[in-house]
Amino acid sequence: MTAPVSPSLLAPVANGLVEDYLNQLGKGQPGTFDAMIDGQGQLRPGWQSLLGSLEGLGPEGRWQQHEEIQRLLTENGVIFNMHDETQGRSWRLDPLPWVIDQAQWQVLEAGLTQRSRLLTALYNDIYGSRTLFEAGLLPTQALLASPHFLLPCHRSLPNDRSPINFHGVDVIQDTQGKWRVMTDRLQAPSGTGFALENRILMARALPDMYRNAPLKRLAGFLDLHHRTLIAMAYQRRDNPTLILLTPGPGSPRYFEHAYLANYLNIALVEGQDLVVRDTQVWLRTLGGLQPVDVVLRHCDDAYCDPLELRGDSQLGIPGLLQAMRAGGVALSNALGVGILETPLLTDYLPALCEHLLGEPLLLSNADATTQAATAPIFDSHLQRLEPTTLNLRCFVTRTPASAKAKSNAASEYQVMPGGLAWVGEPGSPSLSSIIVKDVWVTASSPQPHVSQLRQARGPVVATRDGTDLPSRVAESLFWLGRYGERLDTRARLLREALLRLMEYDQDEIADQLLDELLLALDITTLDEDDEHRLKAPLIGFDQKRTALLAQFDNADPQALQPLFAQLMRNARSVRDHLGDDSWRVVHQLRQRIATFNSSLGASAARRACEGLSAQLAAFFGLCNETMPHHFGWRFMDIGRFLDRVLGLLSLLKLTLNAPHSPGLALWEVVLATTDNFTAYRRRYRSELHPAAILDLLLFDETNPRSVGYMLKRIERQMDRLPGSTSPYRNAERRLLIQANAALHLADIDRLSHLADTSEAQEALEQLLDALIQPLGALSEAISQSHFSHVERPRQLVSMELDA
Amino acid sequence: MNYTLRHTTRYHYSAPVTLCHSEARVLPRKTPHQQCGASELQISPAPQVQMERRDVFGNRVLYFAMEEVHQTLDVTVITPLNTQPLAVLPTSSPSWEQIAQQLSQDNSFDVQLYRLDSPFIRRNEELAAFARSCFTPGRPIVEAALALNEMIYSSFEYDPSFTTLATPLSEVLANRRGVCQDFAHLAIGALRSVGLAARYVSGYLETQPPPGQPRLIGADASHAWLATWIPEWGWLSLDPTNGTLAGEQHPVLAWGRDYADVAPLKGVMNGGGEHRLEVEVDVMPLAV
Repeated sequence: MTAPVSPSLLAPVANGLVEDYLNQLGKGQPGTFDAMIDGQGQLRPGWQSLLGSLEGLGPEGRWQQHEEIQRLLTENGVIFNMHDETQGRSWRLDPLPWVIDQAQWQVLEAGLTQRSRLLTALYNDIYGSRTLFEAGLLPTQALLASPHFLLPCHRSLPNDRSPINFHGVDVIQDTQGKWRVMTDRLQAPSGTGFALENRILMARALPDMYRNAPLKRLAGFLDLHHRTLIAMAYQRRDNPTLILLTPGPGSPRYFEHAYLANYLNIALVEGQDLVVRDTQVWLRTLGGLQPVDVVLRHCDDAYCDPLELRGDSQLGIPGLLQAMRAGGVALSNALGVGILETPLLTDYLPALCEHLLGEPLLLSNADATTQAATAPIFDSHLQRLEPTTLNLRCFVTRTPASAKAKSNAASEYQVMPGGLAWVGEPGSPSLSSIIVKDVWVTASSPQPHVSQLRQARGPVVATRDGTDLPSRVAESLFWLGRYGERLDTRARLLREALLRLMEYDQDEIADQLLDELLLALDITTLDEDDEHRLKAPLIGFDQKRTALLAQFDNADPQALQPLFAQLMRNARSVRDHLGDDSWRVVHQLRQRIATFNSSLGASAARRACEGLSAQLAAFFGLCNETMPHHFGWRFMDIGRFLDRVLGLLSLLKLTLNAPHSPGLALWEVVLATTDNFTAYRRRYRSELHPAAILDLLLFDETNPRSVGYMLKRIERQMDRLPGSTSPYRNAERRLLIQANAALHLADIDRLSHLADTSEAQEALEQLLDALIQPLGALSEAISQSHFSHVERPRQLVSMELDA
Repeated sequence: MNYTLRHTTRYHYSAPVTLCHSEARVLPRKTPHQQCGASELQISPAPQVQMERRDVFGNRVLYFAMEEVHQTLDVTVITPLNTQPLAVLPTSSPSWEQIAQQLSQDNSFDVQLYRLDSPFIRRNEELAAFARSCFTPGRPIVEAALALNEMIYSSFEYDPSFTTLATPLSEVLANRRGVCQDFAHLAIGALRSVGLAARYVSGYLETQPPPGQPRLIGADASHAWLATWIPEWGWLSLDPTNGTLAGEQHPVLAWGRDYADVAPLKGVMNGGGEHRLEVEVDVMPLAV
């Protein structure tokens, strides 16, 4: 930390950072363009106040800002990144934006909109009248050989539609300062989410620098794009349904899909959630099929329709191309645009531009010899600025007014005033870059600060979380509830077992208890004729300790880590239905679980269990507090309480059959694992009366851990599910009535002699069985009624070669 | 010749199908040598959606969707059509090398479409070598193409038990047996491998009953052959299964780069389990 804070912040070139940078560029090397310093060694417009601010912070201050930015970046990664921890983002966001002044930007902007117009005209010819091949303006053979040229897309776009509504273009600035195109992105142009994220994070971390800066804002662009998408709808124009089609959590771009869907407030949907009927696209929801008007497509062309395109695609929707052809759904972008991305076209573009638009091509493509201009970034200690090379992804949208028009004028496209910049050689992939930058396009005057939250436009129709919830999402929420509860139950049992393990050999009752807990955990088995006899009885402290701690590894599918993995899998696929706060807790849980291993000490393991239970409680508590109590939440709640009641019933049954009769000590454990010890003690002091315990755990509907309460809760939730008024969908209701009847008809007097008579024990066992049987069948009944078990569509005739 | 064509494709599924999107190429197209009357189309059960369009090859494509539960699918098309004899073959033609050279420089979409690799047909040296036993240096292209047609007819055995849709061309070539589709693919592969353009044609062939016996209904079959491009003259249609030209007796259904482009019925369905396929074809000549 040696760099002194310059006292003269306003003396631009004299300040330390710039001087130092200038020295690194090497004075007297004219002709090589730099993003920040012009040919005279002066700062370009727009950089001065920015550098002044950053210089003023000093290395320490910049480091703090950097830490803050990285924290926010990580948090966003946490919030939106549903990948495994190994796939987390590792890039950093440079605190120094790339400033592009108006003069440079206008050149780029004009070139980009021209390019959108050119590719639009090209699409219309290639997939339409096909005059350009014969005219020798296209590489016919190379295009026909390309897997991206999709013959079924021939004349598939209705005449009044433009194929390109959103266009991503990767550019660099060459050593002359000329903008050069690296590649076009049309099938699933990604990066807008990241560009937006960078801007939001920078504005949050360096608010003063941003608030009044004369730079163009991004929010307006996405707003415009959103309105264009809306305007594309064929029907329901006042309130069309838009969806973002993603390949799913397996895609490396899923972060962005989730981020963008969230920002645009549209549903994030996978191919299996959709179906084509009557040449329209429909979303499978709890309330049945809901029409979809506009698909913002983030899947590659060939995978979108297994009927006409790749037959082996698992991501697509059979009949989608026909739906587009018939004007039943609007796609952004049209299917087939992939061929326009090919580098095969590069050499043909200048002539095509003259031919199709009657204009010279404004932006030429980079070639193998193109060198990139230099631009400054901070080194990893934020002490110096160093020259590097940058890539920039720009975005162009069609305007709402032209969404349903074939016309192709420059005014019908708009460029995002900014973009995603990343450090790397020209053409290097953005996702593998380690440093990204915000991009500032300067404006002549300070721009009004627009809230990052979109402004409401038109009436809000608050139906998103009603019956239009995708069935797949409802199912995942149900299982999220079940696995969360299962994990909690297991953690509590483990905690009790570890507690007894720590008292090993000091108390006979504790030792017996430990054995019974090992049974409850299904770690050991009762007798050797049992079907689980592969598991030999555990003898002695060491064996028991090892077996218990093995639960902190991932070998046993019922161990904590595998259970959490199931929870996580379901949580990821419903990310956009969970609040950010809940998601943070999931992330903390993930971090905690990641530290689990079998070499934890018993005491540490016990604490880990307690922490786990607390975080799970926090997670579900936050869900209850922050999720709208729509159908999805109800399914999650049913999942939780169903798993909880089944866990309690099987524990009670085990208690009844415990070999060390009367097993009073185990009752204590039951109370402890169900978190009822305090409630019981308050009522009954510390005497353990099995009958009293049974009352508390079975019948007391005021006790949230009792069977009675849980049945009531499940019933209340089921009453509010869609279709609950229909007489046909009531298999699950019959099962619940059966369980309720068993509970309410139980002979409490008989049960009260539990400690004394075997008759009472038998009666209890019967009661437990009468509860377990229908409740065990309830889960299946619920999925039959509410979750679409869609078979994957299959090909009638396989067109695959054996080869 | 005047014909009435009847083509039935029937699927029986072992389990109910809840939704099925299909594409059928069963409506014959018009050609310079063929006029088609209006087709009578029967689809059972009745589809909820039915639309016709032309694909990039100019074939008539019927899209239909069954959105209700069904366990059989029956598509029957009855089309009256009229075929005329082919033009007389040119008495002389340029050498095949000259044509290959000319085609390699041709930018036209409709030529290159049939010169490159396609889903079932990849050009390779093995196929080129096979072709060169007929395509000897300097040989006129028409003569060479007819020789290739004859060679496949005379040295390959028609054996429906040997191949399936998935049998690669290399196996057909190695074992010298197959069905009309394999022979057409083989000839196309050979022609493309020496730089010529060739397309796959699906259609029908009138079969003659044994002398003294009546025609059996449904006994005919759909057929496949190929055509190769002779610049300045046109498409030369060859039927290597029968060693003949494909002319007046060969009513045309559709054409494409290979079978994948003209499969009579394609579909994607939910449910269905196992299925059984029945195809019935009648090519009924009409007395004029």
